[in-house]
Amino acid sequence: MKPIVRVTLLDLRTITPYGRQALVIAVLVMAITADRPQVVLPALILLAASVTAGYPFQISEKADLETLYAVLPLTRSSLLLGHYLSALATFAVYAVLGSLEAVICAHLRHVSFSGHEFAAALALSWALFALNIAVKFPLFIRFGYSQVGMLGTTIPIALVAVIASRAHLSVPSAAWLDLLAAGGLVLFGGSIAVTVAVDPRRLRRPGLAVRY
Amino acid sequence: MDSDLAFSLRGVGATAGSFQLRDVSLSLPVGYVMGFVGANGAGKTTTIRCLLGMQQIQRGEIEVLGHRVPGPVALRQDVGVVLDHDYVVGDWRLSEVERAVRPFYDHWDGRRYRELLEEFGLDMRAKVGDLSRGMNVKLMIALALSHQARLLVFDEPTSGLDPVARDELIGILGDFLLDEGHSVLFSTHITTDLERIGDYLTLIHAGRIVFTGTKEEVLDAYRVVRGGPDDLTDTVGVELIGLRRTATGVEAMVPAADAELLGSRVVVERPTLEEIVVRIGSKAGTKTGAKTGPNSRPVAEHADTGPTRSRGRRPAMAWRNK
Repeated sequence: MKPIVRVTLLDLRTITPYGRQALVIAVLVMAITADRPQVVLPALILLAASVTAGYPFQISEKADLETLYAVLPLTRSSLLLGHYLSALATFAVYAVLGSLEAVICAHLRHVSFSGHEFAAALALSWALFALNIAVKFPLFIRFGYSQVGMLGTTIPIALVAVIASRAHLSVPSAAWLDLLAAGGLVLFGGSIAVTVAVDPRRLRRPGLAVRY
Repeated sequence: MDSDLAFSLRGVGATAGSFQLRDVSLSLPVGYVMGFVGANGAGKTTTIRCLLGMQQIQRGEIEVLGHRVPGPVALRQDVGVVLDHDYVVGDWRLSEVERAVRPFYDHWDGRRYRELLEEFGLDMRAKVGDLSRGMNVKLMIALALSHQARLLVFDEPTSGLDPVARDELIGILGDFLLDEGHSVLFSTHITTDLERIGDYLTLIHAGRIVFTGTKEEVLDAYRVVRGGPDDLTDTVGVELIGLRRTATGVEAMVPAADAELLGSRVVVERPTLEEIVVRIGSKAGTKTGAKTGPNSRPVAEHADTGPTRSRGRRPAMAWRNK
């Protein structure tokens, strides 16, 4: 098993005890957006998936997992990449959940929800998730979760409000969707590069276990 | 690089907040136990963090199991660590702790982990957050001993343990040391543990190594002297460590070589390890009232090269009698 996958499994195991909390948020979001299938997926991704992806950092501060990471046979780059991979895994789980709900809601309420609309919701969700993670993760690494926790929740809420208010707009073309998907990938990759670059600077934070 | 050494620190200097480690040099041959002793804030944890690559050093060099630190990641496979606090998720059950860390170790021994938990009276279904401090220490010890490490680095492992558990731990370390390729660095306040298990001792005070050598060398390096209230008033050339003067008498510790300079009026005794630690720990706040002569250098000044590397019999093997 590759070290990055090991870190991802560790992250997922870290957040498992808080699964119920994440589920409550997910159910609430799904209940609120149930009448608008186009909004379900972006809302779920932004309000639930993005928050859940930050849990490993939150729990790490609480349980001093930085020391555990420093003791385990594990490079910093594997750790950082593993965090991103676990964020992707979180996105995948919520995307499946949200997609199912969107399709079911559209069917039950006899609302039109075409394949193209679904693709648009998915692409938009991915791009917004990537933007969210791209901003938050380097900050979490550099300053710690507790320093940027508010930022981590206000960005998704602001974004979902914008999406909800503009949900009546026409669905973007296939070219735009491709651009959104590619843009998400670029953001994700760029964020990894930034995180790797800022990681050594967290050495300056007092009281933190570090490997160098 | 010296493969006969479990670890070595040479002239290490590091800053942790306002605290500084200065010119720390110590080493441990493979197959032995080193007790690392000092008062709170003396620098034990900082030294251990430097050794583990968790603390950046400004000067000097560190080697662990033949690798310069920071070394290859694989080196972590061979080092078992118990620090002075736990660092696993409080909501994990002990079975989940194993599942979380097991994938990282090539030689994880799940049976050993379960055996140790059982020996320590820990339930696999218990949550980490519900464990007492002592139980948490036991959990961390079980983790450290379950991946076939060659070097154990323990920072105050016995501080939260009751006497029975401490005894169990000493026995487990004894078993671990039956393999001659295994070594232990063991920091503690509880000097009785070291009297049982320590082969080598290192004393640290205010970020500097005061003494490092075999246990016998440490015990032979000092003497406790006791006398009447008027004694030890004119002890030119003798450093009086931890001098205590009361209305009824006076006592202090002195370098062993200086004891005979104090005359026959005082009683001279071999100190216990605890007496050495306590008196050296209080050294900074003690006014000795004595000038420092050529024969009264602090031991650290001529003891910074580490213990002898004799591959003979362990200097202290009391734990084997268990």
